[in-house]
Amino acid sequence: MSRISLKIVGAQGQGINSIGEIVAKGLKRTGYCVFGYREYMSLIKGGHSSYQIDVSNEQIWSSERTIDVLVTVNHHGLAQNFREVKANGVIVHNVSDWEWSEKDVQHAKEKNITAISLPVEEILKALQARSIFGNMILTAFLWGLLGVDQQLLKNLVKEEFGEKGEDVLQKNFACIDAALAILTSVAAIPKSQRSDFRIAAAVRGSNHSVSVSLPKPESAWKDHLLVTGSQAMGLGIVHAGCRLYASYPMTPSSPLLTYIADKQNKTGMVVKQAEDEITAVQMMSGAMFMGTRALTATSGGGFDLMTETISLNGLIENPAVVVLAQRPGPATGLPTWTAQGDLLLAAGSSHGEFPRLVLAVSDSQDSFDLIPEAFNYAEEFQIPVIVLTDKQVMEALWTQRSFDLTKAELRRGKLVMDPKELKKLKSTDRYDPDAGDGVSKRWLPGSDSETFCAQGDEHDAEGNVDESSANATAQMEKRMRKFKKLKDVLPEPEVFGNENANVLVVSWGSNKGVILDAVAAIRKSQNVVYLHYTYLWPLKTEKFEKLAKTAKRKILIECNYQGQLGMLLKQEAGIDFDERILKYDGRPFFYDELQNLLLKANS
Amino acid sequence: MQEYACSTKCTWCDGCGDYGIWTALKRALVELNLRPWQVLLCFDVGCHGNGADKLKGYRFHGLHGRVIPFAAGAALANPGVPVIAFGGDGASFSEGIGHLVHGVRSNYPLTFVLHNNANYGLTTGQASALTWQNHSMNSSPNGIPERTLQSMDFIFSLAPTFVARGFSGNIPHMVEILKAAIEHRGFAFIDILQACPTFNHFATHEFLLEHVFDVREEEGYDPSDFERARATAADTSRRIAIGVLYQNEDIPDFYEQLVSRREKRTVSVEEVELREVTDLMTEFL
Repeated sequence: MSRISLKIVGAQGQGINSIGEIVAKGLKRTGYCVFGYREYMSLIKGGHSSYQIDVSNEQIWSSERTIDVLVTVNHHGLAQNFREVKANGVIVHNVSDWEWSEKDVQHAKEKNITAISLPVEEILKALQARSIFGNMILTAFLWGLLGVDQQLLKNLVKEEFGEKGEDVLQKNFACIDAALAILTSVAAIPKSQRSDFRIAAAVRGSNHSVSVSLPKPESAWKDHLLVTGSQAMGLGIVHAGCRLYASYPMTPSSPLLTYIADKQNKTGMVVKQAEDEITAVQMMSGAMFMGTRALTATSGGGFDLMTETISLNGLIENPAVVVLAQRPGPATGLPTWTAQGDLLLAAGSSHGEFPRLVLAVSDSQDSFDLIPEAFNYAEEFQIPVIVLTDKQVMEALWTQRSFDLTKAELRRGKLVMDPKELKKLKSTDRYDPDAGDGVSKRWLPGSDSETFCAQGDEHDAEGNVDESSANATAQMEKRMRKFKKLKDVLPEPEVFGNENANVLVVSWGSNKGVILDAVAAIRKSQNVVYLHYTYLWPLKTEKFEKLAKTAKRKILIECNYQGQLGMLLKQEAGIDFDERILKYDGRPFFYDELQNLLLKANS
Repeated sequence: MQEYACSTKCTWCDGCGDYGIWTALKRALVELNLRPWQVLLCFDVGCHGNGADKLKGYRFHGLHGRVIPFAAGAALANPGVPVIAFGGDGASFSEGIGHLVHGVRSNYPLTFVLHNNANYGLTTGQASALTWQNHSMNSSPNGIPERTLQSMDFIFSLAPTFVARGFSGNIPHMVEILKAAIEHRGFAFIDILQACPTFNHFATHEFLLEHVFDVREEEGYDPSDFERARATAADTSRRIAIGVLYQNEDIPDFYEQLVSRREKRTVSVEEVELREVTDLMTEFL
């Protein structure tokens, strides 16, 4: 498998994302699978951020820690990211007065690394362009380095910036031409360049020393979508028939709010930017109670605030869907980074005992597919459903096949809407303690029928407060019967690879992609079967127990300190792992890093 | 009225203002020709909330302080079902005061009835934010160190579109203001002063009876005059005005403000189906 990594770095506010997005889209349209990974800080301007694009003509779902091409728009990149550049790698920058240290020069010589200083200031001056256009010069140069079609870049620029007017467009095109001209003529590079590095004119076919070679494009990728996990989930939310969205901004769930809000006039959804998370989750609950589909999304801290309301929905048996987009905690933690530290929170939060469903998405595909299912289970079982995701899934850029709109189902369970059936209902049907599987009939305010009370105190079958021993027992058992039935109907975790493999790897959520990539890479030396969990609570362990019996080595991979899925598996199945690969630094597992960790774990 | 009756026995104290409010509510709904299946009544936690299973209608008895956002979500999902929310002064001016603020400023299409007995009745008589100073209450035997919140002035500061005050001892009057509130375009706030013979020994039924006066008796009172309404409502030093103190029907409610919902002939509860998103996908190609 042939893949390269490109990393664009700079301060927030310097346009890193614009460069990254255009290059990613251009590569995808050329026929590549790209995987985008961003790092940024909790501030608006300044700091040091990055936009990394891993590229291949085959499916990839991960990022490398080491870089083939580093593009930096300020000197911090030269200081901080220099050592990430691979042997034979290329650095492109605009810091004309940068002084490389002796150590760096030595390092570059040993590794055959090339640094190209682009005379951005000169070009801007010559074109009478403002400094903001400097990024276009870097973008175009990178473009040329990769050998991608120039017209494609110009088309993309037109799409992205066309509305800024013809002048701006022409300025951009002039910058592109100027940058590409540099590539074709070594003489164009000013003498101010140090002769310590070999300056490369990286033109395909040229006999200069460095070029960035992309694998041959694969046209199937051209029609794929380039989406973030948030956008994919947003599409899934619309597709599932969600009609009301209430949320309080909290990274990394805010871009989802932005997406849903931006599309509201098209979709006709009711969108409320709530004043706090309790409002958001209560509004979602009220809307679901009235009978539409509604959703709220937040991160760990916001979810903490929602826990009492989840308890409420558990008792009044109201469908609820809450998306928990994880980031490292505790407290404010690392707001713009990723983690899987809230699994136990999702499974165990909220006072009292009641059934809920916890599931986790792992990529753009199931960010879309699992939302209709979340709603379906919420309505079928009349329970809270918590959808776990994380910054890695939400903010990565995925190359995604157009979503299949024929797959989803709409299941509303025992919701009674037919007028004739409504007339037959008794108020005591609502929370009938003898209902099969614990699921009783549900109907909506405004329905011509007997009425009931969705009662937050323990209650009898029609919602009257009932504090008797017999009732408390009967209602608890009714509700908890739902948990058992839910566990029965949920799918088992997914198996990737040969079930008889020696090494069993177990994980969940965003680790899926990097595990599949890494396992494929070490296939020759390691026979690994990967068990991927989507449904986390109730937790099905049959498959896990079967594979655990035959495997010689059991490895748990998670982005949290305690190995929380491992804890649940130990609790439910009594099985320990031989090795736990745990990461809790706010970063995802990287492709190269995980290969080394897996090889080490099996040694 | 019979349609709203149910067999569950009331558990309020003798002389509790909730009896009056409960009666007035049922009468108002009946006079508006609203059948129990046509309304949603949302209760907070408190003595008032114990009324949730003492009448018919689609009802909800939720978490303390959180009735307004639940009611708002329900109202927005189906503006065709009148939603009435109830809260005590504990729920509304302490635990849930944030929701009250944003409920009023959002102008949600719902009615909110404040059961105002100036204490936390159900938890046996602690001071609320509306309790008078210098009165010994449960858990503040020296009286409260805080100053009493000026509730009416506070409400007016949020630019409400409907403010009324009632008295639990005057049922026909409450019926009128409840009806006006339910028919109001936007968030209708009703402050109902009620006796709590068990825990409130300052604003007693007798005290209230003596001090309340119908604002329509005041010369030239115009409920569309905001400043006058605010002053009249806030000044309870000598007497307490009851009635529809302020109303403005020219302000669109929250739902009407939603550009996304204009042109819609259906309500959200009628729109639950799997939806086409092909168009939305094109920007990602």
